[in-house]
Amino acid sequence: MSALPAAAALALAGARELADNDVCFVGIGNPSDAALLAKHTHAPGMTLIYESGVIGSDPKTPPLSTGSPSVSDGAMMIADGLSVFAELQAGRIDVGLLSAAQVDRLGNLNSTVIGEYAEPKLRLVGSGGAHDIACLAQRLVILMPHDPRRFVDRVDFITSPGVDKKRAALKLGSGPAALVTDRARFTFETGEARLAAVMPGFTAAQALEGIPWTVSKTADFQVIERFEPAAVETASRRLDYLFA
Amino acid sequence: MADKAVSLSDAVARTVKDGDTVFIGGFGHAVPFALGHEILRQGFKNLTLCRSGTDILFDLMIAAGAVKKAVFGYLGNPGIGLGQAFRRAVKAGAIEYEDWTNFAMILRLHAARLGVPFLPARILQIGDMPNVLPDLKTLDCPYTGEQLTCIPALKPDVALIHAQHADREGNIKFYGIDGDTVEGALAADKIVVSVEHFIEPEQIAETPELTRIPAHRVTAVAEVPWGAHPSYVEGFYGRDDTHFYDYDKIAREDESLRQYLQKWVYDCPDRRTYLETVGAEKLSELKAHGSGREPR
Repeated sequence: MSALPAAAALALAGARELADNDVCFVGIGNPSDAALLAKHTHAPGMTLIYESGVIGSDPKTPPLSTGSPSVSDGAMMIADGLSVFAELQAGRIDVGLLSAAQVDRLGNLNSTVIGEYAEPKLRLVGSGGAHDIACLAQRLVILMPHDPRRFVDRVDFITSPGVDKKRAALKLGSGPAALVTDRARFTFETGEARLAAVMPGFTAAQALEGIPWTVSKTADFQVIERFEPAAVETASRRLDYLFA
Repeated sequence: MADKAVSLSDAVARTVKDGDTVFIGGFGHAVPFALGHEILRQGFKNLTLCRSGTDILFDLMIAAGAVKKAVFGYLGNPGIGLGQAFRRAVKAGAIEYEDWTNFAMILRLHAARLGVPFLPARILQIGDMPNVLPDLKTLDCPYTGEQLTCIPALKPDVALIHAQHADREGNIKFYGIDGDTVEGALAADKIVVSVEHFIEPEQIAETPELTRIPAHRVTAVAEVPWGAHPSYVEGFYGRDDTHFYDYDKIAREDESLRQYLQKWVYDCPDRRTYLETVGAEKLSELKAHGSGREPR
């Protein structure tokens, strides 16, 4: 069993998706944690971009929003929203990191509404930049806490599209490369999410607990035995709030 | 050039009308709370509010009954939770709204700024969002044949902006996180600005690259120190995160939200009273928790 808090495990699992020198468009929350952790461990050359227009960001404290002071303090450039979404649409952003209220088997994300759009059970906050990132990032990585309520057969509303056959013709990004939880990594080569790896301390059964659709394993399914000790150490120091 | 310096109440009274489409500046940074509160005190109705990512000022103006329609990319309390008043208004069928994305909202404002009816883009072609946006059109590119979305221009009647400095003629010096703040200002017919501190035209001319809105576009400018509280202003004061957390709890019920409006808006005829309500201790704490970078 993993001794790590789930939020820390998710950041560690997410950071594994990021490579040195990646240019990364970062959402708030889990995505921001994972990107920061990667930058401060194996990927010091990463460029973090927030939709508020900040480039080369390195928040010292977890920002509540992309417009929060910690996003711009110590950043290398403050541009504007148009500038960074322009880079995104022009295909110059390597990775987009997103989270959402709901995810489904095709990696579709919902942050708009629970229930019917016209008569919602619960109205959520809407897309923000999430739809844009999901459509336009060269590689899309989805980070979700392992919470069965968030994994649904089909999302109530597709705010941020996952796998979609029309992407290539429309010259959009290739869609979700990975869905990462604190327990597992899923990939989408064949369309639906398949279990590609389990994270340290979890079995395949635990990784799929509560997920309402049948998940197959990839041919190269992996058991990840441990996170890099240096990454765990950095997380506990630089992102100590994940351990609170 | 004309002196456009006015009081906070005149800035609003002379520019805003019932039924206007109002752009609210501030992407987390420099949200024009003082101007927004003044709109509520003056009792304007049937407004259409627009911007990309909103702050709780949007939700508060909905709670006060000033808003007929919300046009946005994101509507909530960033990093904390939902737009509670918006959530209830949607449930009750008491508000019209349009769900765009942040990039789409920026393009809508940019199109208006450029004076063109739409801009082509690759977003809003897959997923469910295109299905719920009224009258969204696509076009086949006349050069390449690619299918693109037509993002329609959105021209606000008036933009509310808070910035660090201005001269009395209305040259606006603004720095720190922008988001779509300048975009929305320059898209609008009228621009109303509150600033932390007036400076002289000669001082504006010392750093003209920091002038983001030129005087000839500005309708009215008011000096309102702390005019963005509980948000923050680069070089002046930090963000009052506690206030945003408290709002999340208070806004969950109509009655407590009504009391919040009474305390922070209607019982504060001017910003001085508002700052007394915040309290000197809190203000000095926020002053100390700015970015540490000096005003420029």
